[in-house]
Amino acid sequence: MDATIITNIFGEFSAMAPMIIMIIGALLMPALYFTTKKRGVVGGALVAFILVSLAVNVILLLGGYVGTYAGLFQYDAFSGLMILLFQIVAFLVALVCTSSIEVTRLHYGAFASLLLGATTGMMFVATATDLVVIFVGVELTSISSYVLVAMKRNDPRAAEAAVKYVIIGGMSTALTIYGLSMLYGVTGTTNLAEIAVSLSTAGFSWAFGIAMITMIAGYGFKIAAVPFHMWAPDVYEGAPTPVSIFLATGSKKMGLVVFFKIFLIMFVAGASVASFATVEMQYLFAIIAAITMTVGNVVAISQTNIKRMLAYSSIAQAGYILIVMAVMSEYALTGGIFHMFTHVFMKGGAFLIVGALICAGIGEKITDYRGLAKRAPFLAFAMLLFLFSLAGIPPLAGFTSKFVLFSAAIYGGDGATSQWVWLAFIAILNSAISLYYYARVVKAMYIEKGTATDKIKVPKAFLAAIVICVAAVIVLGVFPQIILGPASEAAAALFSLV
Amino acid sequence: MFIEYTWLVPLIPALCFVLVGFFGNKMGKTGGGYLAIAGVAVSCLLSVLISYEFFTSAAYASPGYYTESMTWFTFPGGFEITIGFYVDTLACLMMMFASFISMLIFVYSLGYMGEEGKRKRRYFAEVALFVTGMLGLAISSSFIEMFIFWEIMGLCSYLLIGFWSFNHPEGDDKADNAASAAKKAFLVTRLGDVSLMGGLFVMLYAFGSLDYTVVFDAANIASVDHNLIIIACLLIFGGVIGKSAQFPLLDWLPDAMAGPTTVSALIHAATMVKAGVYLVARCFPIFCEASSVMLLVAVIGGVTMFFAATMAMNNMNIKKVLAYSTLSQLGYMFLALGAGGYMIAIGIETGDTALIAAGSLGYTAGCLHMVNHAFFKALLFLCSGSVIHSTGTEDMREMGGLGPKMKVTSITMLIGSLSIAGFPFFAGFFSKDLIIEQALHAADYGTAGWIFIVLWALAIITAFMTAFYMFRMWYMTFRGPEGPKTQHCHGESPKSMTVPLMVLSIFAFGFGFVLLFGFDGLLSINVDLATGQFFVGGGHAEGLEYLVEFFTNPWTYLTIVLVIAAIIIAKFMYDKRKINPGKFNKNGTSWLYRALASRWWFPELYNQVSWKLGYGVARGVDYVDRNIVDGAVNGLSNAVVGSGDILSKAQTGNVRNYAAVVLGGIVVLFVVILALFYFMGGL
Repeated sequence: MDATIITNIFGEFSAMAPMIIMIIGALLMPALYFTTKKRGVVGGALVAFILVSLAVNVILLLGGYVGTYAGLFQYDAFSGLMILLFQIVAFLVALVCTSSIEVTRLHYGAFASLLLGATTGMMFVATATDLVVIFVGVELTSISSYVLVAMKRNDPRAAEAAVKYVIIGGMSTALTIYGLSMLYGVTGTTNLAEIAVSLSTAGFSWAFGIAMITMIAGYGFKIAAVPFHMWAPDVYEGAPTPVSIFLATGSKKMGLVVFFKIFLIMFVAGASVASFATVEMQYLFAIIAAITMTVGNVVAISQTNIKRMLAYSSIAQAGYILIVMAVMSEYALTGGIFHMFTHVFMKGGAFLIVGALICAGIGEKITDYRGLAKRAPFLAFAMLLFLFSLAGIPPLAGFTSKFVLFSAAIYGGDGATSQWVWLAFIAILNSAISLYYYARVVKAMYIEKGTATDKIKVPKAFLAAIVICVAAVIVLGVFPQIILGPASEAAAALFSLV
Repeated sequence: MFIEYTWLVPLIPALCFVLVGFFGNKMGKTGGGYLAIAGVAVSCLLSVLISYEFFTSAAYASPGYYTESMTWFTFPGGFEITIGFYVDTLACLMMMFASFISMLIFVYSLGYMGEEGKRKRRYFAEVALFVTGMLGLAISSSFIEMFIFWEIMGLCSYLLIGFWSFNHPEGDDKADNAASAAKKAFLVTRLGDVSLMGGLFVMLYAFGSLDYTVVFDAANIASVDHNLIIIACLLIFGGVIGKSAQFPLLDWLPDAMAGPTTVSALIHAATMVKAGVYLVARCFPIFCEASSVMLLVAVIGGVTMFFAATMAMNNMNIKKVLAYSTLSQLGYMFLALGAGGYMIAIGIETGDTALIAAGSLGYTAGCLHMVNHAFFKALLFLCSGSVIHSTGTEDMREMGGLGPKMKVTSITMLIGSLSIAGFPFFAGFFSKDLIIEQALHAADYGTAGWIFIVLWALAIITAFMTAFYMFRMWYMTFRGPEGPKTQHCHGESPKSMTVPLMVLSIFAFGFGFVLLFGFDGLLSINVDLATGQFFVGGGHAEGLEYLVEFFTNPWTYLTIVLVIAAIIIAKFMYDKRKINPGKFNKNGTSWLYRALASRWWFPELYNQVSWKLGYGVARGVDYVDRNIVDGAVNGLSNAVVGSGDILSKAQTGNVRNYAAVVLGGIVVLFVVILALFYFMGGL
């Protein structure tokens, strides 16, 4: 497809075209709700805006468009693909939130507006080439999502989750901005590429060390890396399920994109020779990755609430993706991007089923899922697919993407034996552990007997979203080339950003 | 003309799975059973046609296989994943016997599962999927494809063991038992599968591809780090141990008997557990890289063979006896493959072609025993199914004297028992004797040869035990005084059950004769010493000379005498009741009897390791995460967050503690990064 269709319309703003549409949508939503007072209209418009933005992005992406704006934004294969990821998340959430009973009936315009705003923030991050833009994007997303979590107003759990989220989030913001200013002090610039060049000739300094630590802590909060993970289960559990989906699959990916952008560019892509701190940072990330996946998986075993279990499993999945930061190769990044996509569908799908069942009056405890296979055969089967995909059972998408990701850790680089084999080994062991708690849910659904036997009816919108996820989990597993090709282009684009 | 369509062989049962799964209950009373039988019959016919075409084609002579594959996907680093099919003698053998036996067992299921009502749909759909897995495994052209089918079989095994976990005909206790047996089988084999997957990763790393033609190419093997191949072989063998229930992962198989007897016959005797044997046979080109790997295969096989046979000696459950005997016979197969491979590996090192030819016989013996065992063990299980069907019990003490009431079953089961015991001219005789001979032969070579003397002695003792426990079972069931359930016996089972028994008993008796008609030439493994390339088939066939060899070898007579002695002892103990078995085991109080009854404490071992250790660690970490970490930072948290009292005691977690953990984490990270810089010289 030809990107000129878009560039003719947006001119010099083409690099920001998908975001501009989202921003217009965000501004229109409250007005639309105020004039029509109909949730259906707002919901339709919400989906429409996301789809238009998605279409624009796909045209740009397929057209191979590369463009910059004001030296702060750059649209390329990497940002295009990441924007696509965020749009898919937003689409899935927008599709179901109108029919979910958990989403507030009041202020629905505000809800839609915040959802678009938060997505825009993520897209900012995906296109940013400057630390300040990244910071603004992350804050846009964070502040919007604080409100999204709090919008289930009558539920004390939601209020509590939101307050926790705000407090810990505020702390992480403080840490981040502290780190950013330190880094600015060391390098004298906020442009990512220039920082990379500046660092490749610098030596160790205390300010640099503090900057690294505080930035890892601040953004580690976003991806819920251990030990900055403790807010995540509380918030996912307390928030309305569509918002949990948004946080677990979208917001977390934004944190990972920040990691990719800042640290990969800073330490690998920018430096023609390895930066002075590359090896040390690789080991640091490897340790964080190993601990994150292990804690996530092990603690998930003892959870009885399915949303908390999925939250811990999310933490573990983020740990897997952090392998990219340890290996720091283009191949690993390809695997990481692939896994981010499959994670959207399998984790998103699992949360969608939880959300759909809440609408049907089923609780969040694993014991509430007993006998589900009889009551809702399709939902139970879809859940089984998602959980098995998360555990990495072939031929589902989770297996294929984990396969690429872990093999990146074993392969390392140009035919040499990688020093990250141990990390891959830990990751494989973790996959084995994870099967235990996923199987528990499957057992509850298929083997144990439930008290109720009546059939379950769930809203059509949820079914549609779940069908999309099921299709994606199977198709991406069997034909990984669909996403692997663009992902390897995206990885190449990120590595050539400087 | 047929061989190009080999991919249809697993696809047809897959199609049946989908059709039966969705529309089974609309297909009449059998729940789609006829469709499943028809599907697997077509697969069977196609397998025969493909095999015929392959053996008469030029591809059989050179390169010894016919393969077609396409690239599924590639990923950076030059790795390529292919799928396709790969036909050679081994694959032909596997798909023929697997589809044939599956067909017979499906027919038998019509009668055996006749009272299951609507749940027959599920049964036939799942067994059709299982057959897909088995046939797909047989014709896979790459390890990754093999692994996928391997996992499909694992899934079906899990589902079918737990078939009665919803409503067991004998009540809720049995249903719970089925559920936990299914779980155990799944988790234990999964342990092996993780190892197998690790092996595949290592191979992918070493070869850049998992296609058989690439991995088994001598030039490629030579260019890869020798140690890497050994690691891969060991990891792959870990998967084999899980799937084929070898020591120490053997305990899931006896529990798996909680499933329907047809499932035990099909999956846990005739086909799925053979996947491990098949994989070792398939991987000969890489397993023969080191004689030590083959030695390990033989030792694991020998140990399992012996221990499993001991556990069958005093078990009272007819299906459990057969399950232990399956383990024991699988052990024989691995002993044969291990001994043969050991000789081949040494033959390659020393350049001794005669030794390689001798080793090839071990390969042949292992594979022949695999097929023979499939026939006689499927037969034995189906016979036991027939008995269970008409008496409603699995406990042999409640049977006895059933012979006159169930003539067909008792005679076919006698044929099966004679075959497995290795009575002369029955199928089991040929393969078992060849295996015992191989073990003795291998003892002459290499520094570790003496181990094979031990294994040979164990094999002979096991042959004695096999004959004893099989005839103990037969006499306890069909002869001797009538048991409490004998009066309730419905008599002989329906035709749909007895006809498969009769067909199988023909094969259980006669399949051994293939050895005299060139089987060893077709299924031989040869090595071109100049290039190191392995190829299957086209070897020298000894034919009738085997008869001369068997009966001029004094050891053969030792085995025969032992077997006959065992049968006579069993007759006096359980039929004539002249000898009281209680004398030998102090009426069940001797330590040996208790050890056997508690299965050499394997279940306890599993519990200790998995439950106590695994779950304990999980609980421990959770405890640390919740209590100790939170507690330790409490003091710090007061200092850090101070007066922030909002929601200080929350329902799900304490926000002050969270903040403190974050700050504590930063401190830890800082220490870590300083240490890293310090030790790596960046500071």
